[in-house]
Amino acid sequence: MDRDYDLKGMDARIRELRKTAEEIRELAQGIEAVRRDADRLLASVKMMELNLCDVAEVVL
Amino acid sequence: MVMTRENSAYWNPILETLPRERLRALQVKKFKRIFEWAYTNSPFYKELYKDAGIEPGDLKTLDDIRKVPKIDKGMLRDVQSRAPFPYGDILAVPLAQVTEFRQTSGTTGTPVYQADTWQDWEWWAECWAYILYAQGYRDTDRLFLPFGYNIFVAFWACHYGAEKVGCEVVPGGVLDTEARIMKMKELHCTAFGATPTYVLGMADTARKIGIDPRGIGIQRITCAGEPGASIPTTKQRIEEAWGAKVYDHIGATEIGAWSYSCTHQRGLHVNEAFFLVEIEDTETGEIIEEPGRNGKMIITAFDRIGKPCIRFDSKDVIRWADYSCECGRTFRIIDGGVVGRADDITKVKGVLLAPTAIEEVVRSFDELSDEYEVIVTKKGDIDDIALKIELKPGMEDRKESILARLKDELRVKTNLGYKIEVCPAGSLPRYEVKAKRFKDMRKH
Repeated sequence: MDRDYDLKGMDARIRELRKTAEEIRELAQGIEAVRRDADRLLASVKMMELNLCDVAEVVL
Repeated sequence: MVMTRENSAYWNPILETLPRERLRALQVKKFKRIFEWAYTNSPFYKELYKDAGIEPGDLKTLDDIRKVPKIDKGMLRDVQSRAPFPYGDILAVPLAQVTEFRQTSGTTGTPVYQADTWQDWEWWAECWAYILYAQGYRDTDRLFLPFGYNIFVAFWACHYGAEKVGCEVVPGGVLDTEARIMKMKELHCTAFGATPTYVLGMADTARKIGIDPRGIGIQRITCAGEPGASIPTTKQRIEEAWGAKVYDHIGATEIGAWSYSCTHQRGLHVNEAFFLVEIEDTETGEIIEEPGRNGKMIITAFDRIGKPCIRFDSKDVIRWADYSCECGRTFRIIDGGVVGRADDITKVKGVLLAPTAIEEVVRSFDELSDEYEVIVTKKGDIDDIALKIELKPGMEDRKESILARLKDELRVKTNLGYKIEVCPAGSLPRYEVKAKRFKDMRKH
């Protein structure tokens, strides 16, 4: 199944997403709205990690 | 082959069709991660594991995992007497990160309080998305959820999982049963979810107000909370009542949503990418790998971080199936859902009895209503078991022959003789949530 998908490409972009969201969270100290939005974004990123990055480490 | 949304039967084709050896590797990796997380962040787990002399570095294989101490509901209750209020020191995150509260029903004692972070709540929805997608839910569905939307988890996560799949979700909270049925009809809902008991009760109510449940347009029903949808006679009864496919799901407040039937309706898949399910022989403690042998479930949720659930002794009795599913999922299948509870299977007159066996027999009789009640009492040293049933209207003339057949069938299936009491139609309790039909009044 992994042959049909660009696991490596998706994995790399999800990692970039996490990095970006964490950076925004850091930069947004004092702007509660943005900090909380970043938290929610990170929870969604985590779901992508569970769905893809974890398994990418096993199959790649 | 390029999988598209239209032809994919899988929410996640990569995880759901992962070869078994890779799935095992993924499980070991994820178990180590949640173990280390709990060891590092939860004082309760750290103490438990230190006392057992086990550290994260000790875990390398599945066999190592089996040395990790189990937890049970009693421990989850006890820890609540410690700080921080109200969860105790089992939490693996600061209290400020907890955004969701739910609790167990408390029918067997003090309720267990469940803390979840926002990430945990996303995870609940993700688990449900796997379930609903496998059961054919798509963004064309309008799903009605007729439950109380209160402190019990019930179908809360189903709500958010369905949104994730793209369904339009209609919250049927503070409405009575009649209003719920009329709203489902008015909105042309295509699906709903409830306990098997309530699904049958809704069909009954619909007929009483002159609505044919088969005419509402419901295509699929997802059941939870009771084993009924995995009991063939109950499932058939529901499908006939609504003219819809019925799917089962198993989950629990302390665990998550871990198992589901797919559109092929053959056994329940365990979401092994998110959970480790072990089946333990209740006598020997040996882990059962072979199909067909009942044991109690020990379960780990790999990704629940607020209040981790690691090797939880659920007391649910399950067995591995000796068949695979045509759907192509590589997740293992449990046969017949939860077939009992290790603490429910009780001895009556010296015979081991699982209450689900009684349900299977009662629901196989078309002449009987959906409701029944079993009461076990003790007179002196002798157990007594009584079964209360209701005949459907028009069946009174055949009462004697129906009762004779029922007694025979119960004797064959459960090895017990019952005092059967025929109650007036509609007099037995109707339940909206988990039914309490088995009442053991003996003092143990």
